[in-house]
Amino acid sequence: MRKFARAGKVFSCLFCALALQPALAQHSMDPAGTDLSQPEFHVMGFGDISYISREGSDTDGFAIGQAVAHLSASLGHSFGVFGEFSMTARDTEYSAEVERLIVKYEFSDLLKLSAGRYHTPIGYWNNAFHHGAWLQTTTSRPEMVKFGSQIVPIHFVGGLVEGNIPVTDLGLTYMAGFGNGRHENIARAGDAGDINGENAWMFQLNTSPSKYYGFKAGVGYYQDVVSPAAEPEVDEQTFSAYVAWAKEAPEIIVEFIHSTHELASDSSVSGDVDGWYAQFAWRLEAKKRQWKPYARYERNRIDDSDPLLGDLGLDYDGGILGLRWDFNPYAALKAEYRNEEFDSNGRENNFRLQVSFVLAKL
Amino acid sequence: MHMKTFKNFGKRKATFAIASFFAVLLFWTPGSAQETASETAIAIVVHKDTQVENLSLEELRSIFLANQQFWPDRTRIILLVRAPQSDERTFVLNSIYQMDEAQFRQYWIAKMFRAEVPRGPKIVFSTDMTLELVLAIPGSISFMRANEVTDQVRVVRVDGKLPSEAGYPLK
Repeated sequence: MRKFARAGKVFSCLFCALALQPALAQHSMDPAGTDLSQPEFHVMGFGDISYISREGSDTDGFAIGQAVAHLSASLGHSFGVFGEFSMTARDTEYSAEVERLIVKYEFSDLLKLSAGRYHTPIGYWNNAFHHGAWLQTTTSRPEMVKFGSQIVPIHFVGGLVEGNIPVTDLGLTYMAGFGNGRHENIARAGDAGDINGENAWMFQLNTSPSKYYGFKAGVGYYQDVVSPAAEPEVDEQTFSAYVAWAKEAPEIIVEFIHSTHELASDSSVSGDVDGWYAQFAWRLEAKKRQWKPYARYERNRIDDSDPLLGDLGLDYDGGILGLRWDFNPYAALKAEYRNEEFDSNGRENNFRLQVSFVLAKL
Repeated sequence: MHMKTFKNFGKRKATFAIASFFAVLLFWTPGSAQETASETAIAIVVHKDTQVENLSLEELRSIFLANQQFWPDRTRIILLVRAPQSDERTFVLNSIYQMDEAQFRQYWIAKMFRAEVPRGPKIVFSTDMTLELVLAIPGSISFMRANEVTDQVRVVRVDGKLPSEAGYPLK
């Protein structure tokens, strides 16, 4: 109860800030906004409410998704602070979380330094949509990058160097990170420090050529030594690759990850993880532009011998068909049929209806 | 058993009703008026001190998409965009962004949410306001009808052409 009350206070403050945003914006010595050395604040909110029906389930019903507040502050020409805070409905309470908190200094387009808590730059989805259900076409993230995923380390705490590589017309950008690896609860980041003294590091290279406007592709690498609770240490390496066509007609996202887990004390005990998905959507033309049909197929396979994930039953095979209706510039209704199989336990038919929205002033 | 059958029947009915609702909405959408396009060239204007004479259309797009956020002298680029409903904005959304209003809004919300930019574009409500702010803000870039440009701002060539020249891409 106390935790709930504390989380409630945090979010009351955040949503009060959201409501007061116009007043905050006006309270400035520089009403025309020409003096960029003055601090500037922006607040956004995201939320979603779903109706979920699962075959064979007695708990069909409505679910409040995440309520998310996003703050960005520009503190002069080159220095900025970003924060993303969420409140998630659990069975008996709401849990509050600092999803991202980043301080960033931008020297130029070529070099930007930052530190804080991030969504790990692995693949595409984890860094494209964050906790904004309204931003993504579908009702939920792919299983391999879902929040709380044990397959991909969703968050990491550390430092990041990023920038453009202006040597060609390929629109190359890079990201290199160094920080705390996974917590002993492997679904969480090492928020209070690296638990085994073996830092995680990662690198990602992206391209978005100007000649093929809308196209984006990238490859990445992530490495860590994981110390799961009451289990021996495991060396983890993850390769990722993605291709995305970000225009709406069509929207195509294909993402693949391959991880290798090897017992630190005995390299003969190892296993692989393969996860991928392909999503296709098409924004209709002219008067039907509010409509966007979509489909996705995804599959995760984990070797039984995998010393980190082999016993967790994370195999998944699923397909979804859906329709998104942007009935309002800041809100969307999505209806989705899902045919899924979790851990080879037989296929099930599920249905989701979700309304998602953004609170933003642009 | 009877209750389970009833529940399944109810589920099917509910799913069918929702699917029907979407199908009806999909084939019924109220009409919208066509927006008019600008008849004159759109000039790209920058602050007088900005050391740039020419931009390719790709470079311009990169700046307007905030993929390039600094000028070569490391001055931060400040993008000024006309408010919705103006012909100039409609033209720039079509020709440079290749987006409609909804996509443009979603693009900037996503860009800020991803912490890729500290702020969205500054919104200006008239040509006079555009001129005033481009004059006042170092590093600023904006657009306006070519016949409304004054000598308070610098006009940038696009693909080597000025708005008055043949082959200018923003006509």
